[in-house]
Amino acid sequence: MRIQLTNLSFGYDYRTVLKDISFKLESGDFLVIIGNNGSGKSTLIKCILGINKVPSKKIYLDDVNINDYKSWINIGYVPQKFDDFNYEFPITVNEILSASRYGKVSEEEKLEWLDRLGILELQNENINNLSGGQLQRVFIVRSLMNKPKLLILDEPTVGVDATNVERFYSTVNDLNRMGVTIILITHDIKSSKANFTHVMHLHQGEATVKKVAPKRGESS
Amino acid sequence: MILSISFLRALIDHDFMQYALITGLLIGFLAPLIGSFVVIRRLSLIADTLSHFSLAGLAIGLYFIHILGITFIRDPLYLGMLFAVIGSIIIEILRSYYKNYKEISMPIVISLGTALSALFISLSGGFSSSVYNYLFGSILTVGRTFTIIIIAVTAVIVTLTILFFRQMVIISFDEAYARLLGIRVNRFQLVTTIVLALVVSLSIETVGVLLVSSLMIIPVAAAMKVGKSFKNTLFIAIIFSEISVLLGLWLSFEVGLPSGATIVLFNILILLIVALSKKIFAKKSLKVKQSESQI
Repeated sequence: MRIQLTNLSFGYDYRTVLKDISFKLESGDFLVIIGNNGSGKSTLIKCILGINKVPSKKIYLDDVNINDYKSWINIGYVPQKFDDFNYEFPITVNEILSASRYGKVSEEEKLEWLDRLGILELQNENINNLSGGQLQRVFIVRSLMNKPKLLILDEPTVGVDATNVERFYSTVNDLNRMGVTIILITHDIKSSKANFTHVMHLHQGEATVKKVAPKRGESS
Repeated sequence: MILSISFLRALIDHDFMQYALITGLLIGFLAPLIGSFVVIRRLSLIADTLSHFSLAGLAIGLYFIHILGITFIRDPLYLGMLFAVIGSIIIEILRSYYKNYKEISMPIVISLGTALSALFISLSGGFSSSVYNYLFGSILTVGRTFTIIIIAVTAVIVTLTILFFRQMVIISFDEAYARLLGIRVNRFQLVTTIVLALVVSLSIETVGVLLVSSLMIIPVAAAMKVGKSFKNTLFIAIIFSEISVLLGLWLSFEVGLPSGATIVLFNILILLIVALSKKIFAKKSLKVKQSESQI
């Protein structure tokens, strides 16, 4: 998916959070966003997801003005926290995935994603019995259920053990190779195995974006 | 089954018993089905709120028919259903108005419903047998028309649930993610609340205004503790509910007690049995684990 932001500023009430942000990503680009708490990372993501309403002509998704954009199913999103999810009521991993799947991913593909992220054996497990790291991986698989053209990941490996972090980056890099545009928020770019193409440093709402040489073909 | 022969004979011989059984079983199916989605959304109080608002419609209906002599309404039940739907729309409007204090909508609607009920019950000549039936239910007085209405409503709700099951699940469990998927959450929630309103107003005939929410919530509360998956929990809740309806009807018939009260008390009994067995099994499995670790 192509993304273009042009002089985007955004704020809540009288507080400006994002200041004049511009960047452009082509299909298959991989952007890593780095910034301290309160730098505006989540606000920026909410703008791209259409949760924060922005003025017209500030954000384009696949050349469509975000305010006219309808194909939200093309965007996969893994939030940092899952506070919005109603736990305690029994529901299995499979039930969550099928409720989130709208015809694009086959049963075999779903099982393959579960396997790649090391949670295949948990597919019939009640989510209330899962650890934080396992749950995180379930929500990563959920974000892939509609074959996204853009995948937004907000600190997706927090609480996930080292082996599964490796599995996660291998999967994300493969998706990126297949042409999926990735936006990854992380606080630890050095230890991440992401094959990113762009880095954004966000500081007090101001962004600097650098294009970097992709590490294509490297094993991750 | 401990149901007595006299009860079974009455079921065969009397129309009113057949209507009561059909109505009871259908409400016993619908209430936990809708109740499950209500519990997940943490809106357990909504059924109570809508039943109180529905009572206002019933009281106004009684006033129209008995005091003003306006008979085109025929049965206050229709006004009760209409008021439940109006109440559900007011709740959704207030929930979107007070975005961070959504629960405020409940006391506002419940207060309005109770105040209107008190006013029109008083204007209609005070506490009567009709009012008593609305408060505590009278399933044995259910007629053919009501039974047909409830069969039709059940058919509509089952069809809607089958068609939109996935959307209802994702909206109930993760509203924010449902919005990201492009699902029209507000529209779905409004339809779900209107369906809930219809079930609430129809349940009033079975267990009465004061006990409607228990029919929706208690079987689900018990099933949550033993269910392995969402569908499994729904199934168990419906089974618990149907057992309570059957046993409640039977006891009500045998001993001459109000059916609403007996149905709800059987629901509570099942909840207690589930909670106690869970505790006992948890202790036993802990002991087994401890003895295994010692070996």
